[in-house]
Amino acid sequence: MSHTFGPRTAPLRGSRIAIIALLFLGTQMGAVAAADAPPINELHADPNQPDVSGVWLETGYFTLSPDRAVPLLKPPFDALYAKRLKALDAGQPIDDVTARCLPPGMPHIMVVPYPFEIVQTPGRVLFLFEYASQVRRIYLDGRTPSDDDDPTYYGFSSGHWDGSTLVVQTSRIRAETQDDFSGLPHSDALVITERIRRIDHDTLEDQLTLTDPKAYARPFTAVRRYKLHPTWTIGEYVCEENNRNAPGANGVTGFGVPPARDR
Amino acid sequence: MSRCRKPHVLRLAAVVALAILATPAGAHHSFAMFDRQKPLVLEGTVLQFQWTNPHVWIQVAIPDAHGKNAEWGVECTSVNMLKRQGWHHGTLNRGDRVKLRLYPLRDGSHGGQLATLLEINGSPANLASYR
Repeated sequence: MSHTFGPRTAPLRGSRIAIIALLFLGTQMGAVAAADAPPINELHADPNQPDVSGVWLETGYFTLSPDRAVPLLKPPFDALYAKRLKALDAGQPIDDVTARCLPPGMPHIMVVPYPFEIVQTPGRVLFLFEYASQVRRIYLDGRTPSDDDDPTYYGFSSGHWDGSTLVVQTSRIRAETQDDFSGLPHSDALVITERIRRIDHDTLEDQLTLTDPKAYARPFTAVRRYKLHPTWTIGEYVCEENNRNAPGANGVTGFGVPPARDR
Repeated sequence: MSRCRKPHVLRLAAVVALAILATPAGAHHSFAMFDRQKPLVLEGTVLQFQWTNPHVWIQVAIPDAHGKNAEWGVECTSVNMLKRQGWHHGTLNRGDRVKLRLYPLRDGSHGGQLATLLEINGSPANLASYR
């Protein structure tokens, strides 16, 4: 194998100049076309959708509802939640999947106190969470989940615009995820309907209605708000890098000793 | 007697519940293990600064009541959230003298959740971790 690029490319010098000239002409023509087109927002690439793009951070508490209200729970979910609250009261939280670096899932991710970026493309709204690099995909093209779809941490989300409000329905969510950091449970029958809108330029509101005939006596609605942080860049976050909170055999969230490193 | 006690107990339970649920920014897990009603201000020497996710950790040698050093594990929020509050990977180094405000572990062991890094080597730092 010989790599004699020099002698081979030398005779092509004339063609190369022509290609460069064509490329230059192309960029100029592109610039003329761009001047006529509406400006493209790097996060909001679908002019048919109201703009909710940007980097947002939740305001408030770790509980699903900022006023800490909870749904009226049916058995056995009431006993399960009572057990988790008792453990919290004792300072020994149990069953916290996030302490094991597992995804919080829906709706828990919406109350996690790290920012997320909303990106809008034709037919799609993406929530890109800094927390553990999680993603929610909301399809606006009419597709719906199939009964064969396995339940997932974030479920399947279909959406449509109702004026300036994004209405999202999410179902097929794994039963073992929790609604918030207090351990509020739900069943595999949970369906979440969200109404997401900008209540002012800097504030996004998500009204989440949880309908779960197996676990909740009636639908429950919580309203969350998020503040726009236009100067923030979403960073990387790998939970497994140095997780010292992994629960022990008793299921209680840990507070581990540091790994041996240069001390 | 019991009639007097009951409302008091209920009120106490409500305060405890509020304290537990009024959790701060920057967590990847429940914070019920920390006592946010009894923040401590402690001084010590940095043994290790772990600039990592899901939490940044400061291992600090802090003298106990008998003057004997004990190693404390101090949990901060994530790398990204600390950066947004003015921290960076070189904010602390082994051997730095630090003054910290933290929420201690409720079980009394040597650890807590950092509220604010108050001083580094005698100079004011006032770098927040949890609001």
